[in-house]
Amino acid sequence: MNLVYGLLVGVVMGALIQRVGASSPKMILAALRLEDLTIIKFMATTIAVGALVSYLMNLGMPMHFDIKPTYVIGVAVGGLIFGAGFAIGGYCPGTCVVGIAEGRKDGFVALLGGVFGALAFTLVYTLIEAPLIKPLSYGKITWADVVHLPTIVVAVVMAGALLTAVRLLPTRRTSA
Amino acid sequence: MTHPSAALPHAERPSAAPVPQWAVLGVLFGLLSAGSIALFGPIGVSGTYPRFIGASLRAVTPEYAAANPYLVKMGALLTPETTLVVGLLIGGFLSSRLFAGPKAPAADRVHARETTDSRRYVDAFIGGFLILFGARLAGGCTSGHIISGMSQLAVSSTIFAAAVFAGGIGTAKLIAAWRA
Repeated sequence: MNLVYGLLVGVVMGALIQRVGASSPKMILAALRLEDLTIIKFMATTIAVGALVSYLMNLGMPMHFDIKPTYVIGVAVGGLIFGAGFAIGGYCPGTCVVGIAEGRKDGFVALLGGVFGALAFTLVYTLIEAPLIKPLSYGKITWADVVHLPTIVVAVVMAGALLTAVRLLPTRRTSA
Repeated sequence: MTHPSAALPHAERPSAAPVPQWAVLGVLFGLLSAGSIALFGPIGVSGTYPRFIGASLRAVTPEYAAANPYLVKMGALLTPETTLVVGLLIGGFLSSRLFAGPKAPAADRVHARETTDSRRYVDAFIGGFLILFGARLAGGCTSGHIISGMSQLAVSSTIFAAAVFAGGIGTAKLIAAWRA
């Protein structure tokens, strides 16, 4: 049944990504050049609503949360490498798949590059585990664990901060 | 008449501009993200790549696949995350056909140095390589870390998001400065 849920969530997600233009490398580069923040505001709105709704639902029903572990060096270095690739290619691991569905050949090339990138990681995993993944490892922690407050309180604060930033920041840069 | 909106509950100028499309889509994506956590687990994409590699290597060279700790850790291919990636293809295809809009280019040249389609494909390949290497090192990508992870208030995902935008904005500026 979960396989069907996954498929359905993917269909809706693919349509949302396509509609907002996140599968367009031009839109991604416009965001990273800080010329058009549409995609960043879309993501911030998504995170705010996702945090509020999932932790509200959590008050009344069991949720399948899965917190990713915090290992500072690997996560930060991985993020920097990801950011560089994001700016060079203009795709994420998911947006290139949506791009392929739209007829973007460069999306397929990015996916191919991704398969080789994941293969390279698989081959060097045992070498980089000790220096990058083992040190400064704090396990599956949330900001609620850090500040010792209920998750719903932290979710409200974070959502409020994100939505305020979304309201205040201009979507497009008016002056060159 | 005020405009009913979940994204802008206290719009200062209710009669002014309608709610932008990205805000509506962002609210829908947030609901989808929470719904996914309620149904089976957080949305994620990049783990599918090593699971695909694992399934391929198990078919070609089962001894190596069984001995590689990362492939063992990532497990079998048939997971909700994999069907989600198949769904992305279907949803992206349906959406691009059902809604009006400009046709997506085969090669979207985004940098000045991409003077030919071939150069664009080189950048797309390098970019694809780096995003997957980085995502697997960090344990997630835009969907798993930034969208799902930050929605779950994960400390790791906040570090990842900050690093992605620092690296992404910095690299975009470097490429513009280096234009050949």
